[in-house]
Amino acid sequence: MNWRSIFFAAPLAALAFAATAATASAAGPTCPDGAIKVGAVSTITGPADFSEVPKATKAAFDALNAAGGLNGCKIDYTIEDDKADPAVAAQAARDLIDNKEVVALVGSASLLDCAVNAATYNRKKVLSVQGLGVDAACFSSPSISPVNVGPYTLSTAMGYFATKTLKAKNLCAFFIIIGGTQEAYKKSIADWEKITGQKIHLLDLTLPFQGDLTPYVIKARDAGCDAVLTNQVEPQVVQLIKTVDAQKITGINWLFLAPAYTEQVAKALADSKQPIYAGTEWEPYTETGAEANAQWIADMKKAGRPLTAFSQGGYLAAKNFLKVIEGIDGPVTRESVTKALYDMKPIKDPLAGSPWIFGKAKTHSPMRSTKVMKLEKGAWVVETPDFVVLPKVN
Amino acid sequence: METYFTAAVAGLTAGGAYALLGVCAVFTYRLVAVVNFTGAAIGTAGTFMLISLTEAGYPTWPSVLAGIVTGTAVGVAIGFVMTRWFATAGASTKAAVTAALLVGLIAIGLRLTGGQHPHVMPELFPGSAFRLAGVQVTNASALTIGLAVLFTVASSLFLNGTRTGLHLRALSERPMAAELLGVRVRLLSLFVWGVTGAFTTFALMIIAPQRSPNFMTLSLLVVPALAAALIGLFRSFWLTLAGGIALGILEGLASTVDVVSQYRSAIPFLVILAVLLWSQREARWDEAR
Repeated sequence: MNWRSIFFAAPLAALAFAATAATASAAGPTCPDGAIKVGAVSTITGPADFSEVPKATKAAFDALNAAGGLNGCKIDYTIEDDKADPAVAAQAARDLIDNKEVVALVGSASLLDCAVNAATYNRKKVLSVQGLGVDAACFSSPSISPVNVGPYTLSTAMGYFATKTLKAKNLCAFFIIIGGTQEAYKKSIADWEKITGQKIHLLDLTLPFQGDLTPYVIKARDAGCDAVLTNQVEPQVVQLIKTVDAQKITGINWLFLAPAYTEQVAKALADSKQPIYAGTEWEPYTETGAEANAQWIADMKKAGRPLTAFSQGGYLAAKNFLKVIEGIDGPVTRESVTKALYDMKPIKDPLAGSPWIFGKAKTHSPMRSTKVMKLEKGAWVVETPDFVVLPKVN
Repeated sequence: METYFTAAVAGLTAGGAYALLGVCAVFTYRLVAVVNFTGAAIGTAGTFMLISLTEAGYPTWPSVLAGIVTGTAVGVAIGFVMTRWFATAGASTKAAVTAALLVGLIAIGLRLTGGQHPHVMPELFPGSAFRLAGVQVTNASALTIGLAVLFTVASSLFLNGTRTGLHLRALSERPMAAELLGVRVRLLSLFVWGVTGAFTTFALMIIAPQRSPNFMTLSLLVVPALAAALIGLFRSFWLTLAGGIALGILEGLASTVDVVSQYRSAIPFLVILAVLLWSQREARWDEAR
């Protein structure tokens, strides 16, 4: 063990100590039926792989278990693969709730878990601390509170950044609409209009998932956009910028959401001179020297997990969840966990710009801030050292 | 009006790609009698060989050569499957087999190439050729259209004017008779698969930098390509060429009209449907059945 790992292990040990100390004074959480059972429903095989999220949650729980558990209680964590199939997702949730008898879901990340299972979670009064909310239902259900900003609020935040920092006058938005996301994206632009008092210059909800993008970049140029916001994912981001370069377009700021913020995108667009920005959901994961990332990096390294934005989500979900159940006096059951999440106070973690809370609201989208990265010569550099925090929508 | 013209020109890039791949599809069909769904996937496999070699630091043009060799090999491998086990099967069975092979190729390709992660795609012909109606027509898109025309002319001449061409036509239309006459059926077929593999690989290498650089989207370019081939009824190279370019222009135009724009990717299917209805217009129910 070198000095670094000792240094990073110290806070964990302190946490374990604090938990033990708590036993002496108050009752603290107890687990008369053995380990505390927690689960996650994630898309692992299928069109996308989000397994990095729950695996980071597991790493955080494993670290706690290795340090003796929470007040002596170990966490028994089960990850189920929904294969991006609604029937499998529903079955996975039922299995976790009825057979495994989990007290809550923590660190789930899936293409359709929220859409398929939100009603089940409501009915069974099981709450989900979503590690990565993807579909719109993750941000509009009483039983799910994601620890990430999500594409919709992030769209609003990136638009806000364009107006406030880049002084954009003609913001245009091009969105790929998959499934029932149209209303959510429309709302994110409406929120931006309310916050900034500006009108969107051009809103196009027909961006194709595949196909040539030349007509769209020409449309943006001819409409006079000075900033373009899109929700494209990795390969399309590269394609869009290549098309923009081929058309020799200049003078437009290109704003992307978190999926653009990857090293592969940076490498593929190393030659581009376009001003390219991407929103991060949390503290930028590429900033390995940042104080806010220190503990997350230490725990991930110990568990042998890669340092990705996904793993920040899973890790943050675990940490927030542990903070909440730490405050429970008596047995940790589904009822006591649900009550604790309902009554909790907001938790501020250095990894995120906004405090996270569950609470009893009908919908949850507590994370409302982002840092912005700029692509420069094949690497992402921090454009906003402080989090861009969205003001409240009136 | 000018907006529409600009949008139409903007569609040329896609149109050139559809035309080129469409002509390749017709070439395969006329010579080995297979509606080949794997056409673009074969080219994609070769293109990814190029990408992985250049990413590993090898020089561009030798990597292009290695990519084309890979594409040829994959083409021959699929040709081997088709000639070995499905030589006497009907056209629809063969088409179904290539569709199944496409699914397999995409699954393997996505695994090997890191799924949705983008790659650094070397541009073989960077820069733009000329500007028309406010749109830069890139060297790559000018080249795809040029290559499509060249391939069309060359294929017509080859099939109608040479002895090998005659043998090849015999091979697809009357394979048994051709074999009895001493034509080396299997060897010729494999040769055709190899040549189209090499050619589509080169085509894909030019098209890929303008597209979303992942295995699946590139492989699925086969859908508009087959729509273009259908416009030429899998017979006429010139109609296929025109059909492919028209499809691209239509897509470009559709993107300016919001109501239609969201259904833009359905255009190839609508075209396929329209052509099928039109080509069957005189067939009576009993015959068509």
